[in-house]
This record gives sequence, structure tokens and C-alpha cells, in this order.
Amino acid sequence: MRDDFLAEADEHLVGIRQGLLQLEASVGKAQPDAKVVEGLFLEFHSFKGISAIVGLAPAEAVAHRTEDFLRLMREGKAQLSAKGLEVLMAAIQKLEQVVAAFRSGSPLPGYESLLADITAQCEHSSLTGPSPRSGPSDTDLLTRVEEARARGLQLWQYTFTPARELNASGITVTSVREQLSNTGEILKATPQVQGKGDLKFEFLIAARDAPNDLAGWEAKGVAIKPAELEASQSPAIQAETAESAEAEHSPFLAPSHIVRVDLKRLDDLMRITGEMVIHRSRLEAQLARLNGAAARVDLRGIQEASGGMARSLRELREAIMRVRLVTVAEIFARMPFVVRDLARQTQKKARLELAGQDTAVDKYLIERLKDPLLHLVRNAFSHGVESPEERAAASKPQEATIKLSASTIGDSVIIRVQDDGRGINPHAILQRAKTLGVELPQAVDNHSILQILCAPGFSTREDADRAAGRGMGMTVVNAIVRELGGNLTLDTEEGRGTQFTIRLPLTLAIAETLLVEAAGQKCAIPQSFVREILLASEDQLQIANGIEVIPYRQGVLPVVRMAKLFNLPGTPRSKMCLLVITSDRGSVGLLAEKVLGQREVVVNALRDPLIQVPGISGATELGDGKPVLILDGASLTSGSVRPAEPDISSSQMHQYAT
Amino acid sequence: MSKESYVLFELGGSIYGIPSQNVQHIEMFEHVTLVPNANPAIDGVVFSRGQVIPALNLRIRFGLPRQEKTVRTRIVFVIAHDRTVGLIVDSAREFQNLPVDSIHPIEETLTGINGRYLKAVTKVGERLVLILDLDAVLNVDDVQVPAEAQSIGSERSDPSQPGQTSATTVSTH
Repeated sequence: MRDDFLAEADEHLVGIRQGLLQLEASVGKAQPDAKVVEGLFLEFHSFKGISAIVGLAPAEAVAHRTEDFLRLMREGKAQLSAKGLEVLMAAIQKLEQVVAAFRSGSPLPGYESLLADITAQCEHSSLTGPSPRSGPSDTDLLTRVEEARARGLQLWQYTFTPARELNASGITVTSVREQLSNTGEILKATPQVQGKGDLKFEFLIAARDAPNDLAGWEAKGVAIKPAELEASQSPAIQAETAESAEAEHSPFLAPSHIVRVDLKRLDDLMRITGEMVIHRSRLEAQLARLNGAAARVDLRGIQEASGGMARSLRELREAIMRVRLVTVAEIFARMPFVVRDLARQTQKKARLELAGQDTAVDKYLIERLKDPLLHLVRNAFSHGVESPEERAAASKPQEATIKLSASTIGDSVIIRVQDDGRGINPHAILQRAKTLGVELPQAVDNHSILQILCAPGFSTREDADRAAGRGMGMTVVNAIVRELGGNLTLDTEEGRGTQFTIRLPLTLAIAETLLVEAAGQKCAIPQSFVREILLASEDQLQIANGIEVIPYRQGVLPVVRMAKLFNLPGTPRSKMCLLVITSDRGSVGLLAEKVLGQREVVVNALRDPLIQVPGISGATELGDGKPVLILDGASLTSGSVRPAEPDISSSQMHQYAT
Repeated sequence: MSKESYVLFELGGSIYGIPSQNVQHIEMFEHVTLVPNANPAIDGVVFSRGQVIPALNLRIRFGLPRQEKTVRTRIVFVIAHDRTVGLIVDSAREFQNLPVDSIHPIEETLTGINGRYLKAVTKVGERLVLILDLDAVLNVDDVQVPAEAQSIGSERSDPSQPGQTSATTVSTH
């Protein structure tokens, strides 16, 4: 019950945050975006409900009062002022605090002053807001009218005046209503009381065609005219029409037929599927052996079945992976609040731009990325963004822009945190590294700066400041990214800004790889990184700038010898395989002795810090119980794994090498 | 008299013990996959129970000479703080229940070359059994210190000390 509440509460909190962000655009407008207000209203309403079930009184009270405020807004009785938005923001923060306290079992925070604030907003709004309109459902009506128009329907007003003789011939408001519903869509039915207590009924109908048989209707006591909406309603309707395209993408329109599944169950499914893949590859190996040994038995039937199983397994895995995907909006939505809060606490001005919120990522990755992203965004604000004066002096806009974006490239997800702040001064970093005794790099470039930033204990501020000091530190950010099989890179330019890029595999589970071998070591490399495979011989290699290169197309390609990666002497061969590894960081040639073939593998992350090394993104098992490392194309190409130096230094070989 | 269960193993002629609750299982040591750029004490990774696990050569960790693997070589899978690490040892002997009050915290005189990896000492029969301090054995920063940086000494376990950063810990890009 408690877990259910927490899971559901988180969902509503995400929804509310998204809604509030959309609402921000409505500040000061006569009519806030009706759909957003409605969505928020429902979210707070649900939140109130679930809080009541678990007896979380503060959450219930706050949600309830907020709901009141939103209802007024929905009914057009309240305008959304900047103060009003602040109060709504405070409400969500309070709800978050209450939920967090509930989760950890700590004392619940006080909320009375917030309640007073919200109440004040309600009262303030009722006094100064536009006068109440005719009915509570007007907003709904407007929405429906607008929708009908969008569908190309015409609006007609049918007025039915009941009379005794009509009643005698069986014509009542009920029968009229029924006939009208055949004519078109009834948007609104309003009884109107006339002078002497007589009734008439007004129906607002949306229909594709103009009404025919006017006389027939008239005989039934029904008058028809094109509907004219009251002047006061028209501007609102037009405003809504203009925004309708935007409103359709509202996150609140998400379908509700959703099953919540514990991630562990999906993990189980994935594990079982992974085991099946291994069993099948064993079967495949056995078949290949039989096929070679005795041609007496016809194996085609079994081979076909095995092939069919391979296809189904691939589909099954893809299906499970898809189930696990969630959009990054889940964590992105939180970030503007973080920046807003930071900006309020300091003199600096910054806004956060989000892009690629629809990018889908494995749920596990999202969970693990929450804190690292938070840290990077805070860092961007506290270390990157300058004071408004400083920015003005550098002829930059006073308000800094921090951009958080996500995109999918091939099998990778790329998440960037970019700011247009002061950039990183390499000399300051070096200086600080020196005083701290952090190992200094030979060359100062983006890569080595990042290495220093990620060194344990390194922090560029003497006193941990409010924003970044509480964070986990770049060391942990980097470790988590590595653990997820990804890598972190830095691009910074002094005076222009800084960009951190996290590259992650789309899912931790499966990769299409090429198996390569050198010095008796097998490795897998994700196919998405391999542009082509060429044959190369030793005499093609040249030395440039102290590293081995090979001519490739118009230029040269730095070479990484796979044997050298393992500190092993390679087996001399006349022809080697050169895999051209390409990522968005560049290209490198991986020199292997053999390409063993293509293989779809189940990826195991290297979770233990003892084995998180550059150049390796994970490991797999091919059915024989021996791990095979998966090379990380991105770090091979980014220079964190240095290309081969020409002098073959004495290599220390492990005795256990097989 | 209350007793605690320990797994006893041999390394370089001495007997060591690990609390049984920290031992997941013990396997014959057959294959290890080399991991480039890992710490010298890491022989590589092994695959066990669906996980890829680092194989830490305890001889190298303790500064003992490397030894050819034999039929008695074992890998002891230990669990501590959600981590699973395989320890390569000369041989693993048995489970043994040791009386709690026979286990004494390590004395100053014993904290020599590998003393900081030890927690306590006891006797089984006439033989000395050294109880491992698993946290110290598995300490990543410690493992990662290159030999020439040994002088940092006692400050090493303080995570805020940046001194022990070697290029290999900090995964780079």
C-alpha cells in the first residue's frame, strides 16, 4: 500500500511539475490554458485522494486547497498572477517534501503558512478576477465548441418551446432532444425561464450540414438559427483555437490504460530471455558441430527451428526493451525548478531550455541518471553561469541559458548539459589540481581537464557553495555513467561556455556486436561503432606525432592495437584486420588479428569499480562461461584510450592468460 | 560459548579467514578474462551466476610473489557492501566455527606488510588464523594506488584525500 502510494504520488508529482511549467506561459493572461488547468486540477485531485487513503493529512490538505484555487481558475474566476504561480510552485515543493518525509519516515513538514498563502490567492482572485460567467461548465463548453469547429462542424442554435398541443402529439423535450442528437452533436442544452414562468430549451448543436426541413422542425415547436456566441466568449474561443495545436500535445492526454509493473519483474523477464539466448547459441554450436561431423542426419529441420527461435527471441527481447523505455521527460521536468530555485537564491539569472524530452531511455538508466544530471545542471549554474554584470561586460545577455537535451543516435542515447557561461579556465584547474596533489596530465585538453574534475576530492570551490557543494561530485557522476556502460565527455571554451555530454547505450541489455581476436583475447565491439573492416599489413603503418597511424581514405587514422590494449605481444601476421571505429568523437582504427563473426550478445555492465576501465563498456558470455569484454567505441575514439605508441615496451603477461 | 562461522583459506603458507556470511560461494579457478588497464592486483573478470565479477589476486594484493595456478587454486566470491568480488587464493580449506572469544583484534606488532588488510587473529589448533578486513581488501582507492605512491600511507583511506587518484580509477571519457 505504501509503495503503491509512493509510486503513484511520484507519477502525479511529475505530471504536476510538467503542468506547472506549461502554466508558466499563462501568467498574466486573462484565461490560463484551460486544458493545462484542467489537467493540473485532476492531478491535484488524484493526489488528494491517494494521500487521504494513506492518511497523509498535510499532503491532503495542501492538495485540497490547491485544487480549490485551480477550480476558480478553471471557472474563470481567478487569474494567474506571478504570485499565484509562486504559490503553486510552493505547493508542489511542499507536496514533494511531505512525500519525501513520508518515504523516509521522518517528521512531516509544517504547511499552515502555505495553506494561508493559497487561500489568500483564492480570495484575491475572486475579488479582482473577471466576473463569474454563467455556468461552471463554460470552459468545457468552449473547449467543445472549439473542437467542433476544428472538425469543420457548424454550430446551430435550436430553441424548443414546449406547448400543451405539442405534448399531446408526443412531442416533448425528450423526443426533441433525441431527434436533435441524430442531427448532430449536442454541445449544450439550457433551459430558459421566460416571463410568466414558461420554459424554453436552447440546444447548441454542432452539425456537418445546415439543417434541412426547417418547416418540419417548426411544426414541432423548434426554431433554428446559426449559433452566435456571446461577445464575451468569442475572444477566449479564438485564443484557444490559436493554442489548440499546442494543447494536443499536453502530457495530460496520456491514455489511462496503463499497467504499473515493478522493474524487478521486467528484469526477471530480461534475464530469462538472456538465458534463452545463451541456450540457443549453445544449440547453434552443437548443430554446427553435428553438421561438420556427420552428414548422415538431415539437420535442416532443426536448423530452421533454431533460426526461427533466434528471430522470436530477438523480437521478444526488443519487446521487453520497449516496455522498459520511458521518456527522459521524467527527469527533465524537474530541472527547470532546480534552476529557478538556484536563481532565486543568488543574484545570477539563468533559464533552462529543454530539448528532446520525448527521447526514450531504459527505466533503469533514468533512475540512475537522476542524481548525475541534477549535479551537472547545478554545476552549470554555480560554476558556469556568471553574474549579470560579468555577462553584460562580456556582451552576453544577462540571463544565461542552460540547455538540457537528449537525443538518440544509433544505439546510443546522448544527453547534454550545456551552458553559455564562463567556460573552464584550464590554468585555474591545473593550479588547483597542483595544490591538491591531483596527478597532472601531460597535455591540457578537454579530456585531461575532465580527468582532473573527476578526480576524487577535487572541487574548484574552496567553500562548498549552496548549489554544487551538496552534490555528489564529478567523481560519482563519472562512476555512475561508467557503470551504466556509458561515457562522459567535456567540451569547454573559456568565455563561451561548457558542455558535458553523457553517452549511454540505449539499453543495457543487448547489443549487436562483431567478435574480434588478438593475442588470444576475444572481444566484442558494438556494430554501431564499426564503419568498415579492412585488411591491413604491418608495413602500411606509419608513425606520426609519436603514434601509429594508417593511411585511410584521404587522411590517416590513428591505430589502436587490440593486443596492446591488453599489454600482450600480438601474434605476428601478414594480414591484420583493421576495424574502422567511428563515433561522434572521431575515428580510430582498431587493429585485430581475426574477426570471428557477428554476434548478438547480452550485455553485462561492469558494476564493480575495480573493473571500470576506459575502453571497456561491459562484458558478455557466449555460452562457454567465459566473459568476453565489450569494447567501448566512444572512448576508443575520444582519446581516453591512447593509440599505440610505436615502441613496443616489455609487456607484463599474466600467467593466467589463456 | 558462542561461535561464528568462517571460511578458511591458504595464501603463501598462512591461513586466513573470512566470515562465512561474506562468502557467496567458492569455485575452482579455471578461466579469467584479462581486463586492460585494470589495477595490477586484478587478474581480470570471471563469469559467475550471471554476473561479471572482478577476480582479485590476493597474492598481488598482499605483495606476495605471483604463483602459477594449480589444481588447488580457488576463487572465493565475497560479498561486501553490495559488491561481489572474487578473491584468488592458493587453496580454500573449509568452513570452521570459531569461538567468538578466541578471536582477538589484531596487535600492533602484526600490522606489517599486509597488516592493514587484517582485522583479527585467532588460533585453530596450533595454527594461527588471520581474519581479513574485507573492507580494506576491497577498498577501491587503495587498490588503485600505484606502487610509487605508497608513501601516502595512512591518509589513504580518507576519501577526501585526492592524493590517491591514479589515472586508472577515474574513468575518463
